[in-house]
Amino acid sequence: MMSQLATALRRLGAAIVFLLVATPAVAQRLLVPMDDAQTDHLKAYGLTYNAIKAGLQSEWLLNYRGGAFLLPDTPELRKRAALDGIAVEPVNDAQLASIRHEMAGGNMEAVPLEKAPRIAVYTPRDAQPWDDAVTLALNYAGIDFTPVYDDEVERGDLSRFDWLHLHHEDFTGQYNKFNLGYRDAPWFRALVATSTDAARRLGFPSVPALKKDVAEHIRQFVDRGGFLFAMCGATETLELAIAGHDVDIAGEFADGTPMDPEADAKMNWSRTLAFRNAHLERSPYVNSMSDIDGHQVNVPGRRQPLGTFTLFNFSAKFDPVPSMLVQDHRSVISDFYGVTTSFMKSTLKPGDVVLASEEGAPWVKYIHGDYGKGTWTYLGGHDPEDAQHAIGNPPTDLSLHKNSPGYRLILNNVLFPAAKKKPLKT
Amino acid sequence: MRALDLENESKFREAAALFRQALDAKPTPGALLGLERVYAELRISDSLLPTLDSLIAREPHEQLYRSVKLRTLQLLGRQAALRGAFEEWAAATPRDPTPYREYARILIQLGQPAAADSVVQRASMALGGSSQMDYETAQLRAAEGRWEASAQSWRRALVTAPQLAAAAAYALAPTPTASRESIRQILLLPPADVGPRCAAAELSLNWGDAPGAWEALRALPPDTASASAWTEFGERALAEERYAIARDALSSALRVRASPDLAVEAATAALRAGTPSAVFTLAPLSMASDSAHAAAQFVPLHVAALAALGQGAEADALVKHYDRWLAPGARTAVAKMLATAWVRSGDLGRARDALRAAGPDADSSDAAGWLALYEGRLGDARILMRGVREPGPELAVALGIVARTRGDSAPTLGNAFLTLARGDSASAATRFVAAAAEHPEAASSLLLLAARINAARGDESAALALWQRIVGDYADSPEAVEGELEWARLLRRRGDRAGAIAHLEHLILSAPQSALVPQARRELELAKGTVPSS
Repeated sequence: MMSQLATALRRLGAAIVFLLVATPAVAQRLLVPMDDAQTDHLKAYGLTYNAIKAGLQSEWLLNYRGGAFLLPDTPELRKRAALDGIAVEPVNDAQLASIRHEMAGGNMEAVPLEKAPRIAVYTPRDAQPWDDAVTLALNYAGIDFTPVYDDEVERGDLSRFDWLHLHHEDFTGQYNKFNLGYRDAPWFRALVATSTDAARRLGFPSVPALKKDVAEHIRQFVDRGGFLFAMCGATETLELAIAGHDVDIAGEFADGTPMDPEADAKMNWSRTLAFRNAHLERSPYVNSMSDIDGHQVNVPGRRQPLGTFTLFNFSAKFDPVPSMLVQDHRSVISDFYGVTTSFMKSTLKPGDVVLASEEGAPWVKYIHGDYGKGTWTYLGGHDPEDAQHAIGNPPTDLSLHKNSPGYRLILNNVLFPAAKKKPLKT
Repeated sequence: MRALDLENESKFREAAALFRQALDAKPTPGALLGLERVYAELRISDSLLPTLDSLIAREPHEQLYRSVKLRTLQLLGRQAALRGAFEEWAAATPRDPTPYREYARILIQLGQPAAADSVVQRASMALGGSSQMDYETAQLRAAEGRWEASAQSWRRALVTAPQLAAAAAYALAPTPTASRESIRQILLLPPADVGPRCAAAELSLNWGDAPGAWEALRALPPDTASASAWTEFGERALAEERYAIARDALSSALRVRASPDLAVEAATAALRAGTPSAVFTLAPLSMASDSAHAAAQFVPLHVAALAALGQGAEADALVKHYDRWLAPGARTAVAKMLATAWVRSGDLGRARDALRAAGPDADSSDAAGWLALYEGRLGDARILMRGVREPGPELAVALGIVARTRGDSAPTLGNAFLTLARGDSASAATRFVAAAAEHPEAASSLLLLAARINAARGDESAALALWQRIVGDYADSPEAVEGELEWARLLRRRGDRAGAIAHLEHLILSAPQSALVPQARRELELAKGTVPSS
């Protein structure tokens, strides 16, 4: 009881001192709380990312106050925090020693953050940032990124980056089968025209052929040590494109020839990152790619309702990477649809780490794994704050969702490549 | 009735038994729909199918039985059986568009627009044209994102079914910005029919174009259907404080369908829209049924209009004429308006007399406080204004300034407020600036008020000069924060993002505890482009 009271008083005191500009700079460090004391969780990631980018020594305090950050106390960081409305608390040496003591006794760990990853987002040049949850989050948090698309990938530009994000691109080259509902929509016709033109320009016979080659470049990027984060339909179609590298898995409308009738049997799952033994959707009239997705949002007869998913609580000391990926101030989060919403357990590879799942459901929401020298992380769904996002819907304004636990998962992925790798104790 | 009662009490099994009995005795729509509902609640909708088959066998042309069967099969997810039921229905009634309509709607709901399209095309061939399927075609094209084709079908459907205007507006609302004008033009094609025009108006409102909404309705022919549309639109505009549009719509309706209530609404809108002289023609006193009715509904509007026009003598005569029919509360309200009329006429003495004559309630009211302020009697104004029972934004501003100004007499300040009350906002702004020089203790708030008046008049340059002066000369005052925020907003509107960002960052850092900081952060996000501007 006394301990709870002491904690409450300490946090109250901390909240009182958060108006930093008027406070003399006497502390050695700034603690960025990530529990409910934080006023803008999403911008806190931007503050930390830019501190690392500026070469400032920073730490991620896993499982301490919602996954707090510890930054040097500099006038520039104080100013940035004040401008962005980020709650920060100055801590002196004695307070820091107390924090470290508390962390040593629990499932908590301090991870040094040493190098800001160079970020690329696979997206067309003319795409609005508002249609992709990751670019929304990066823009809002103030984290710089470079858009790359087919030309850059084919040119080999991925080697210039540490971290790559994919969103709702269809790497099977079938335009997410949007031809079923939007074949005459001007935006869809324009998409087909620009994609076909790109395939021709880059020397491929069809859009599916181009996209499969792009998928292969991405696979090699991870194999050589890159960090891949994918959401929505990009997760499922990237895997199908890699497994189906030597098979015709696209419908006739996409490449002029029907899918290989034996395609299912010819898939090479040994090359994929996350999934195995999935079955392709054979009908060109069913808006689904395979049975990887558990929710099948665009197939009325198969569509599953949304529930909630729960983040796993990993050992911060022994499993720092998955711990970083699930740092959050909420452990249960409302689910949200996407072209691919979730991943069926039956299609996961044995080495996959499940980061979040829905209790009692045959699917999981958030997975991670190693591949070659790199890592991949997949999060199902399109927009954590727009559960039923549809084409043409207005963009999400993140200034109205500053404390979004779903968007925090995205930003955890941006920051975790900055962590210094510690040798595991044996 | 008993079955419905049981259903309302969630006793679905018992209700089902009674609905079945009723159907066995004599099939009625109520009994069938009741059975459909309770079976759905009990999750045994498949049990309805034998009943439906037997009803259809007896009456194969009854549309209700066929519709319920399609719905039931849809609910059960039996797609093949659903299609079979549709085919049977279409074969049984070959010239009837209903089976095609019902099945196409279900397919759209199921997210199968291509299949729905096929059904619509089949209907066109079977029925000898597509006109009977306009509603379904419109829904289908909207689902496909073919907005112009959808609007064309909606237009045709709405001519014969104007009650679908809201559904059309809902379906067309997601049209991308670039295509919206062409959608509006399709709905506005001649001849001007109520349905398409109402849909165009609703869409314009949804897309933030209220004047465009009224333009869509204005050209309707003057008949009772149009009058209903105009009245509904005008009342909505009035509730949304779009007074000029409300006035125009209600006046149009009034010309077709004159009624005292509508006249009062139209006159109220005209008064609030800043066109007081329209009150006399829209709601003449002769429209009232008798003097008491006139005193209750029409006289307050006329006095308010005369006050706004500064016609104190005319207002005074009107109040005197109807005085015996005025209720006590109304008399006080009318006396305040009369005082305002005299103020605007330039006769403060008579304004005071008007309040005294109305009794102690009126003479100790906010109106009396305002009069004291206009006369520069600051001490009296402080006392009278503090006791106000119905405070408003104008009073809050005046009270803030009065509270910060030292002394009991301030003729220049009073004259500035009086000039504002007389409607001469340009001179009032100049006089508030002059008052600021006389009252340095309240200078920042007086300058801010002058800046607000200039901004409201559209004189952004004059407002900007004052905001700059407040920020520069009174940096520690609370008004400096608002001044800098408005300055930054103006810079952003003019496209100077860097300038806006610099001021907003300065504001946030220099006044972190100000209540305006959240607004400043929002402006900062917009200036930086880190959030969508819509």
